[in-house]
Amino acid sequence: MRDTVLVVGAGLAGLSAATELARAGLPVLVVDQAQAVGGAIHRQPLPGVRSIASGAQKRRWAGVMAGVAAQGGRITLALGTRFGGVDHTGAVLLTGAMNRLIRPRALALALGARESVQPRPGWTLPGVETAGSLQTRLKTLAEAPAGRVLLAGSGPLLLALGAELVKLGRPPLAILEAGRPFARPLAALRLPRSYWAEAATYLTRLRLARVPILTGTHLTAIRAEGGALVAEATGGRRLTADHIALHDGIRSNDIGLPDCATLPVVRLGDCREALGARAALADGRAGGAALAARLLGRPEPAPDAELARQRAAQALLAQLYAHDGAARLADLPGDTVICRCEARTVNDLRALGPSPRARQLRLDGRFAMGPCQGRFCGDWVARLAAADNPGPDTPTPGIGAPRWPARPIAVADLLAATDETEGETR
Amino acid sequence: MTTGTIFWAGQPVPFRVGETVASALMRAGIAAFGTAPTGQARAVFCGIGLCQGCLIRAEGRITEACLLPARDGLRLSPEIGGDDA
Repeated sequence: MRDTVLVVGAGLAGLSAATELARAGLPVLVVDQAQAVGGAIHRQPLPGVRSIASGAQKRRWAGVMAGVAAQGGRITLALGTRFGGVDHTGAVLLTGAMNRLIRPRALALALGARESVQPRPGWTLPGVETAGSLQTRLKTLAEAPAGRVLLAGSGPLLLALGAELVKLGRPPLAILEAGRPFARPLAALRLPRSYWAEAATYLTRLRLARVPILTGTHLTAIRAEGGALVAEATGGRRLTADHIALHDGIRSNDIGLPDCATLPVVRLGDCREALGARAALADGRAGGAALAARLLGRPEPAPDAELARQRAAQALLAQLYAHDGAARLADLPGDTVICRCEARTVNDLRALGPSPRARQLRLDGRFAMGPCQGRFCGDWVARLAAADNPGPDTPTPGIGAPRWPARPIAVADLLAATDETEGETR
Repeated sequence: MTTGTIFWAGQPVPFRVGETVASALMRAGIAAFGTAPTGQARAVFCGIGLCQGCLIRAEGRITEACLLPARDGLRLSPEIGGDDA
């Protein structure tokens, strides 16, 4: 394993990086926690299920897989295998199908994005999940859940998910979009043409199915009533649904990931900078080639211009979708859960007094101390804690102190891991 | 499309090959996977193993339902108060 580069994540960034590393002559092991390649964006359907991906999506993924196939045996793929972390000696723990302790030559982390979801009363109820979570099931099953689906929050993913539900014959009840992305069509013209084509497809499908897209509308609370979910929204709207998918943007899925002095570690794609699929492909390629050059002592390739283009496009999208939703945090009822892991509430936060520091938030408040390590509450707790002292653009650093392992690991997995590091120098 | 059966708190639930336990349970109309130590309901939220919200008990081990592949005869129960033996 000492010659092998370990790539974590078999999505766009991970597999395009693996291809570049292998092309340079390096053996590559790609692991992914899922049972199929594709990551979140290109999640593949179950065996025998027809893909719901668009033609453009299918072509992009086919290109990535052709690149992998062309490298033959230099790329090994281990599915159902999770990255547990790397210790100070450069030993990496893998659990699941390939349960091993290995010492790779370098580590490329391509774990994609995590979704940001703003806390609201009722967001912990069963039947309420992230848009990405629901979308994963649509892609794997090519089937929409039974019952009424409501999509709420902010961002282009809501339109994509809504259009997929229409395609599967179950249009959502409505899309509640906190921003007003269609209010500035002239600014939107500066988006790349591929973004326009994608948006037009989604909007046409949603319009034909008469799905209400309520912009400038916030979902403020959810409650369980008579076996269903009742959503309250601004403007006095009330909608009854069976499933609610929430989404307030994406962030890098990089919390608790290691740096290691004894091992080159790089982050690629959304895991490095959340810029979406087009950038992930370019970043994976460029990052893979750069890592290969570094390991082999060759000159580093020039940076990919596509990344700058996508960064500009995503910044414009963020402007078009900008809204005041985060200001609503201050008005949340005291019993609203902020930390999902330990059910810590707004009142628990307020009990810490004015302007609590990160350490106090963790040790006294127990925020970001649960098994998710603050992935879902850290940003909001930081914002709420800074609310007494708001600036024009209050920075919202995570408050957590995430550490190894990246996720809870069973002791049994630690004990059962085949140790392939023995006899190798530390 | 091949299928099999898993058991949730003793009840048979069909699954498709390649499907996760969470996906199979949700298709069967089971959205609440028991109760967490906090008293909150266990349920799928992020769907990608990050939030730890869908923890269940599978063959004596607590694990994320959203990542666990279903396999024929697998016996599952809520994290607390269940008996998957």
